[in-house]
Amino acid sequence: MPLDTSTYALALLRLDGRRWNELRRIRAQTSTQAAADGSSYLEMGNTQVICTVIGPAEGRNTGAGRSGGREGEANLEVEIGFAGFSGVDRKRRGKGDKRTAEMAHTLSTAFSSLILMHLYPHSTISIHINILSQDGSILAACINAATLALVDAGVPMTDYLVACTAASSPTTSASAGGDEVSDPLLDLNAMEEQELPFLTLATVGGGEKITVLVMETRVRVERIEGMLAVGIEGCKRVKNILDGVVRGVGR
Amino acid sequence: MTSLKRSTASDPSTNLSSKVYVRSTRSGKVQKIVRELYLRQDIPCSSRLCSQCLKTAPTDFNNKVAPFVLSETPAGTKSFPNGHYLVPDTNAFLTGMDLFEVETAFHDVIVLQTVLEEVKNRSLPLYHRLISLTKNEDKRFFVFFNEFRLETYVGRDRGESINDRNDKAVRRAVQWYGEHLQEAMRARKSVRCPTVVMISDDRENLRKSKAEKIPALTLTDYVSGLENSGQLLDMVSAGKEQREVKSGKVELIYPEYYSMSKMITGVKAGTMHQGTFNVSPYNYLEGSVHVPAFDKPLIILGRENSNRAVSGDIAVVEILPKDQWKAPSTTIIEEETLNKNDNADEDDGETVISERERRALQEEVKRAHGQSTEGRPQPTARVVGIIKRNWRQYVGHIDKDSIRSTSKASRSQQTVFLIPMDKKIPKIRIRTRQAGELVGKRVLVTIDAWDRDSRYPVGHFVRSLGELESKGAETEALLLEYDIQYRPFPKTVLDCLPAEGHDWKVPANLDDPGWKGRKDLRNLLICSIDPPGCVDIDDALHATALPNGNYHVGVHIADVSHFVKPNNAMDKEASMRGTTVYLVDKRIDMLPMLLGTDLCSIKPYVERYAFSVLWEITPDADIVSAEFTKSVIRSREAFSYEQAQLRIDDKSHQDDLTKGMRTLLMLSKKLKQKRMDAGALNLASPEVKVQTESETSDPVDIQTKKQLDTNSLVEEFMLLANISVADKNYSAFPQTALLRRHASPPKTNFEELANQLKVKRGMELRTDSSKALADSLDTCIDPREPFFNTLVRILATRCMTAAEYFCAGAQAYPEFRHYGLASEIYTHFTSPIRRYADLEAHRQLAAAIEYEQLDASLHSKPKLEAVCKNINVRHRNAQLAGRASVEYYVGQALKGRVVEEEGFVMKLFSNGFVVFVPMFGIESTIKLRDLATPEPEAEFDMESYVLTTRGSRELRVELFQKVRVRISDEAEESTGKRKARFELV
Repeated sequence: MPLDTSTYALALLRLDGRRWNELRRIRAQTSTQAAADGSSYLEMGNTQVICTVIGPAEGRNTGAGRSGGREGEANLEVEIGFAGFSGVDRKRRGKGDKRTAEMAHTLSTAFSSLILMHLYPHSTISIHINILSQDGSILAACINAATLALVDAGVPMTDYLVACTAASSPTTSASAGGDEVSDPLLDLNAMEEQELPFLTLATVGGGEKITVLVMETRVRVERIEGMLAVGIEGCKRVKNILDGVVRGVGR
Repeated sequence: MTSLKRSTASDPSTNLSSKVYVRSTRSGKVQKIVRELYLRQDIPCSSRLCSQCLKTAPTDFNNKVAPFVLSETPAGTKSFPNGHYLVPDTNAFLTGMDLFEVETAFHDVIVLQTVLEEVKNRSLPLYHRLISLTKNEDKRFFVFFNEFRLETYVGRDRGESINDRNDKAVRRAVQWYGEHLQEAMRARKSVRCPTVVMISDDRENLRKSKAEKIPALTLTDYVSGLENSGQLLDMVSAGKEQREVKSGKVELIYPEYYSMSKMITGVKAGTMHQGTFNVSPYNYLEGSVHVPAFDKPLIILGRENSNRAVSGDIAVVEILPKDQWKAPSTTIIEEETLNKNDNADEDDGETVISERERRALQEEVKRAHGQSTEGRPQPTARVVGIIKRNWRQYVGHIDKDSIRSTSKASRSQQTVFLIPMDKKIPKIRIRTRQAGELVGKRVLVTIDAWDRDSRYPVGHFVRSLGELESKGAETEALLLEYDIQYRPFPKTVLDCLPAEGHDWKVPANLDDPGWKGRKDLRNLLICSIDPPGCVDIDDALHATALPNGNYHVGVHIADVSHFVKPNNAMDKEASMRGTTVYLVDKRIDMLPMLLGTDLCSIKPYVERYAFSVLWEITPDADIVSAEFTKSVIRSREAFSYEQAQLRIDDKSHQDDLTKGMRTLLMLSKKLKQKRMDAGALNLASPEVKVQTESETSDPVDIQTKKQLDTNSLVEEFMLLANISVADKNYSAFPQTALLRRHASPPKTNFEELANQLKVKRGMELRTDSSKALADSLDTCIDPREPFFNTLVRILATRCMTAAEYFCAGAQAYPEFRHYGLASEIYTHFTSPIRRYADLEAHRQLAAAIEYEQLDASLHSKPKLEAVCKNINVRHRNAQLAGRASVEYYVGQALKGRVVEEEGFVMKLFSNGFVVFVPMFGIESTIKLRDLATPEPEAEFDMESYVLTTRGSRELRVELFQKVRVRISDEAEESTGKRKARFELV
């Protein structure tokens, strides 16, 4: 194994050479698949995601005679698939995978509050996300890619939904005289996710309003504040990058 | 339709690279890992000469910049008059870590990330030593993350081996540093520009650096240029060089090790076994490996079968065919008597087994075969590979006979043998230029390698501790042998102490934050009872009668956790030390003196913070309720056990304090009875106390320790407190409570003792439960010999497993049991000044009663398990060191004296027997050849444990027999220790 996170304190450098408050390289494209109403491709470091949006369209008939969502609103379907080759081990994740379903649910509730659903009663908007390569911050990458694809599809939304991850480094920094100082870290890769407590958060339009906050690891409550602060700052930067992508298409 | 491509290809910016490597998992899968690498230009060079880097230096979350490390005026040598920064290569660290740790040389060292990673892959212990060097401010070691700096990053060319790439990276970094510093000097307009020197032992690397005009030296060349080069040169590891020199005439003595994958498959398939290799203290040629597949340890007989394993290594063994199985040896074989004449220079082609060894072994085999019908041959195995070497630094002395020229002036290098203090470790061959000076000194060495062509391991000199038998050297040797941290506390630790120093007082104002959540118990009549002269008083007690006829009893423990906060430097030091070590003349503290003997210590007449356990107890010693609280107390008196006993016995004392003590004594007796009824064991170990002269601490007399009622008074209440706390902590933290367990020993442990008792005395030792054992031990009484019972208890104690700390989540509840105390659950709570486990228990209890929040480190099971592992080892080492210290002083006290004493035969061999003398608590072997010359012939009846000698001296020695021995002292040739020597009268 090369260096692990415990060496962070030595140089204030992370495993991949980033500082605590740096995002990985984010690249994105929209309209990548002509057949879909909207589509996008997004890289956050080595995490790669493609997303297609179909709709708003008349939904599949679910038998109950309702093709929309709640009374007078559109229905939002999210489907996430992991490519078998996306991880380190070649592994198929079936449809019934609980974690995938949970991610899909998180996305659908988050976007339902953002998309102007009442404009499309009796119709369905479906988002399909495929993860091509996993290297941490997967939920964040899915949210960002979905935002781009929805914009590409021309679905009316109040603002961008942008996401990133933030963690808390466990080490004591030597310069602080042995007191416990933990730097919050921004945008984790897969190795960091395995070792550190982290959270995924998404804000509306890079502002301070948090729409999604997911944390599955244990962390001391004092550290949350720093993690959130860094995360919000990171989202702001992600927003600018995505905005640049969208405006680039329009030009 | 556009095609999607990964954007790296189209990305012209160069600051992103990726690192691709392949690794194989345990299950044999191969994984390819791709990681990003962000290259940057803001990694500082950390030289105080450079102002450029200071501007771009990174800040952490709190906007702090790490201070620059490398000195403005580094030391130089003749060839580098302007001073130098050193950049060692990986192999320099691997072979010369001891050198880098020397305090007088090797300052201003740049540790490259490439090197650090390589060191980590090659040897974890060396990596940790390197990391601690980088934290040592005086040494000025700086880790430069060259792989992340744009200018110093190098890629791996096609077909290039990883080693070549790393060497290239090192050279590139050295070159960049040189250029960077020159630039910085130009900016400062200064002349003295330090040279950046690469240190490497790799010839290819040196050649290339010469071609690229990079200053480079071998470690040996560099050291030769230093002032005290003679001493330092010895410390260059012998491993590599020697191998190259000898490669011409290799004669392989030992069989080759199996490949790692073969061993792993073998262990998995059950054809091989893995375990820790242990050498018998009586016979250096006999080792044993305990493996889970067999009840009894596997025997490994002879040098060839033990195949270069050193006691403590984790080895893989293969079982030999059944016809080669042997019984455990019944003779005493010592290395020095057999191989005295080995030549340290290996000119004469040596064989693995010297002629004498072979003869000794053959006799063994004959005997084993002779009895194999009814004898007990045990599974015998041979070592086929080593999973992990557990080599540490060894203390020993130079074998006088292996030195060619002893003149002190001679500076020529010669090879000598070092005989380790620990008998289980083979002689170590070292090369030195200072043989003359080292004779008669205690020397610290490390083993570097043990190759197939060398009969003994090869090592190198680390440092000299001083004259043999001088108190300083022997004490230090002891501390090193048991890996005890004895250096003074560093400044960072002392900085954590309260600023008021000895003037610290419990705040008078009850609104002070220190009083928050504390009960005011200053009105209670509390006293402490400890051994005489005790200064670190952990515990105090009180008891008062309640109106309802019950008693209010309290145990008050020093509140160390108030002063030692988790995760600061002091806490880390304490967790590393694990325990205070008590030697006869010295105490090595776990916590700085100020805390241990003053602020935490429950001294009489002053107010102190405490952590109190308060019970309501009925007169029958049943517990009605228990309460835990932080408190402030004032001890009324500090008694010694004897004083307390006298005061209790003296009827004229009728004050409340004495009455409280009488209550405590009364309750403690009932508690003890209850414990005994539950099956607690009353074990014995030979404990003696060495009386020393107060000023010179020279030993004067030896006494066996006395047991007073007050000893058991304190003990009972401490046990009670520990059990109550264990319960509370476990209920609050079922996963992470730190507890202590004592596993019930496997039956096979007692087999031999039970058999011996049955054959010799017709007694039965039942071992099905601790209760049965306790009861049957009570029946092992010889009316003519009152000491016999104690002797049996001592032997029984040796059959037990050791108690250990563990983390509650690691075991199932039934496994928590403390066998010896017959308690379902147990922890250590009552001595936080001298044991780290207690300190952790305090923190957990404080969190359990919601006094304060629990630190994260106590929430994490892996971290706690690491702590447990460490304190278990430290605890054992401290005990062993304490015993060794007593042994040394007993030897010193006997010096020049001849005493006749009674002893008991504890163990029989075919050529000797072990006698234990209770008066001094020592045991020693008496060999037949010491009984008379020529050595009397002997017949050893293993079935009835009788050794009969004929010829020059006729004797009949039985197990457990009482004998009279004449004790004199003797400096043992093999270990250099002064030891008691027994002669049969």
